[in-house]
Amino acid sequence: MAALYMTNQLITIIYDSQFLKHDTGGGEHPEVAERMQVIENQLRNGALASSLLYEQPQPADRRWLLTFHTEAWLFRFEEATLSGRTYIGHPDNQIGFETYDIALLSAGAGLKGIDLLEQDSAKLVFCTVRPPGHHAEPNVPLGFCFLNNCAIAARYWQQKYKRRKICVFDFDAHHGNGIQAAFEEDAETLYISIHEHPSFSYPGTGFSEEEGTGDGKGTILNIPLLPGAGDEQVIASLESEVEEKLAWFQPDAIIIAAGFDAHRLDDMSGLNYSTDLYHLLGLKIAGWTKKYTEGRLLSILEGGYHLKALPESVEAYLSGLLAEL
Amino acid sequence: MFIHYYMTPSPVTIQAHMYIAEARDLLGHKHFRHLPVVDNDGRLQGMITDRDLRSADPSTVLNADERQRILDRVQKTKVKAIMSTDYLSLKTVSTLDDALLLFEKKPVGALPVLDSAGKVVGIFSLDDLTRAYRSLFGLGEKGSVLIAIENQTDSPSLSRLVQVLEEHNVLFTRLVCSDGKGKEPAMIYLRINTCNIPAVHRAVEKAGFIVHVPMSASQGQPPA
Ligand SMILES: [Zn+2]
Repeated sequence: MAALYMTNQLITIIYDSQFLKHDTGGGEHPEVAERMQVIENQLRNGALASSLLYEQPQPADRRWLLTFHTEAWLFRFEEATLSGRTYIGHPDNQIGFETYDIALLSAGAGLKGIDLLEQDSAKLVFCTVRPPGHHAEPNVPLGFCFLNNCAIAARYWQQKYKRRKICVFDFDAHHGNGIQAAFEEDAETLYISIHEHPSFSYPGTGFSEEEGTGDGKGTILNIPLLPGAGDEQVIASLESEVEEKLAWFQPDAIIIAAGFDAHRLDDMSGLNYSTDLYHLLGLKIAGWTKKYTEGRLLSILEGGYHLKALPESVEAYLSGLLAEL
Repeated sequence: MFIHYYMTPSPVTIQAHMYIAEARDLLGHKHFRHLPVVDNDGRLQGMITDRDLRSADPSTVLNADERQRILDRVQKTKVKAIMSTDYLSLKTVSTLDDALLLFEKKPVGALPVLDSAGKVVGIFSLDDLTRAYRSLFGLGEKGSVLIAIENQTDSPSLSRLVQVLEEHNVLFTRLVCSDGKGKEPAMIYLRINTCNIPAVHRAVEKAGFIVHVPMSASQGQPPA
């Protein structure tokens, strides 16, 4: 650790230009390669530029994918990309020839980040990745997602580094149904999601009544917000139910499913977050990390589709983390 | 939409000449609260519920001896004495809508389902009804979302809307309308299966429809 404090480069960005090659077919598909480029530009040329280090991911090993996904899905996914199909299951899930390999790299970014954190070679890690992951189910893709980057990273952290209690906090505008599916019967993981109310928003899950089952009862916290809700409602829930749940769970590590599509300029949701809210989320999350996890914090990009709001929100979030840690 | 897809088939039944003690045993060991009373051929004769059984119990204000005496007598009473005979029932061809109307008519928790010969082939509870509508309306189905569109109430609007959705390859599973005659304004509700909701909004609006976005009460501003 000592060596780290002597450098200014406190944020490690895990990124690979391969991510640009995941082809979503043009047209009206919002999950585009340009998302990566605008974040890159903002970070490299903005106020945080001197604080950044870059690392490249390795493709995730199959054994880690299988901690959440089924063999059948991995075969189907690979086969579909190689056979030249343009989507799997639903036109939302556009694929190109290279999508399978790129998805492995996207899932591998979190694992690389965990290695760096555990080896004290990084202090703060943000994975700028696509395709995103939190809607992906064990056996099917959903909502632009193929492999569940956060769920896989959580299992990796538990199994490789024996960090038993993992909390995934998801501030994407949409409910991470796949992460919930991974965790809902598990007492050693906690999933907290603040999202647009499932009655009016994709994917139609994440009601507050869903709170985990069996051994996992109480380890799912869904906070649905009505369309139009914004900073005020988020701050209120962070300071009450979210912090109460964290105090109860006492996580050993925190993973952030960092989606920026609840920004008021982003039309993928009806939520109304300001750019400043992402700074505040950064401050809060860094505070939880100090309190509970001795700095073990990994952030993985999920959604965020407005090409101006997205990079500014990512920067605001990272500056919040940096200010508090 | 049909009852027989959602009912519990072959429910536990009892006969009218059996004792209340036996009915109590049957209901006590299972997770249901309604017991159809049938004849030798399985035809429905009446219904008893856990509530009927409880109201047959002696009052708690009685002294212990007296209570025990009444309890013994109740245990030896036959089912016929307490079963209700003015029951309502469903047929296997009944619909969920039929069941809803019957549940509205009489405050019961479950209805027996009869075949054409009057034999009990199933039981259908209020919980079954909610579950059935939940699945029919696609509630909780992963990957779907409800959108509300103002209903201009002229009949071609529905077909126009469906046409727009088909042209844009938007999959949808439910389409329900309110006609504006009740408390709810005239609306069309669609459960669509896509994450790309803005694209659907744009397509629908381009065709002249108005998408209705419900707003958080404390936040008057529409999202940009
Ligand atoms: Zn999202």
